[in-house]
Amino acid sequence: MNTQDVDTADWLDAALEEAGHEHRAAYVADDGFTARVIGRLPAAPTLPAWRRPVIVLLSLLAGAGAFVSLPGAFDDAFRSSVALLVGRPLSFTDIALLLALCGAAAWTSLVYAARAN
Amino acid sequence: MSSTPVSDAQLIARAVVHDDRHAFGELVRRHQSAVRSTLRRLTGGNIAQADDLAQETFLLAYRNLKTFRQEAKFSTWLYRIAYNVFLADARKIKELPMPEDAEGEPVAVADAATPSLSRQAALSIDLERALLVLSEPERAAIVQCYHNDLSHEEAAQVLDCPVGTVKTNILRAKQKLKGRLGAWSPQA
Repeated sequence: MNTQDVDTADWLDAALEEAGHEHRAAYVADDGFTARVIGRLPAAPTLPAWRRPVIVLLSLLAGAGAFVSLPGAFDDAFRSSVALLVGRPLSFTDIALLLALCGAAAWTSLVYAARAN
Repeated sequence: MSSTPVSDAQLIARAVVHDDRHAFGELVRRHQSAVRSTLRRLTGGNIAQADDLAQETFLLAYRNLKTFRQEAKFSTWLYRIAYNVFLADARKIKELPMPEDAEGEPVAVADAATPSLSRQAALSIDLERALLVLSEPERAAIVQCYHNDLSHEEAAQVLDCPVGTVKTNILRAKQKLKGRLGAWSPQA
């Protein structure tokens, strides 16, 4: 805006508006600024490498301990829940097969989780 | 195929929920120019100081990103942090940059000495110099309302003061600027 075209009361306002337009139009090049900011960010919290194997081991120990201390409860619960699902009583062969499948699935999951970590 | 640009809100969500530093980096890239140029204005053109304060601004923004409620624009929120960082720094060093000709002498009309400049360019130069003689709250009000194009209400949020104070500071600033830039008045 040409300040000569505005009246006396507006010339300063027009000059400030023009300065504002120039300010917003002028782009400050990044020149590594963003990288410097990212480099100064606090370190991301990381879990120690031993944490997951220890959790897996403790979970297995807890499961084994519960199984040893309450042998009948697990068998009853397992038989009842599977019977509910398949709608018929299970033989020992069926149970063994299911346990093997569950164990294989659990083992595969554990190995995958450990490798992903 | 053109991809839809990711909004600030989406980037903020990624940065907050997943601690996505790439998302935060994109936010910095988008807003660094505005924040750095605002701080350059506030520091009277001290580029090194302004960039240090801009870094502090973005680090503070990162730490407090969870508190950003999306009630204001992200840029307005950043301006507020930047202004607080500037104030803290100014209090720390106990001095604000003063121009060489801050003794009350009217600013010379630049185009008289530099005829190659257009009138507008010369006025811009004189205006820049005149802005340096304003008090810090006056300059901050001018920077937020004119340079950052904020409304009085938004500027009041950024400057953490009542809207009336912003208006008063702008009025006082303009009075001072008219005194300093009197040679540019069409009546002169």
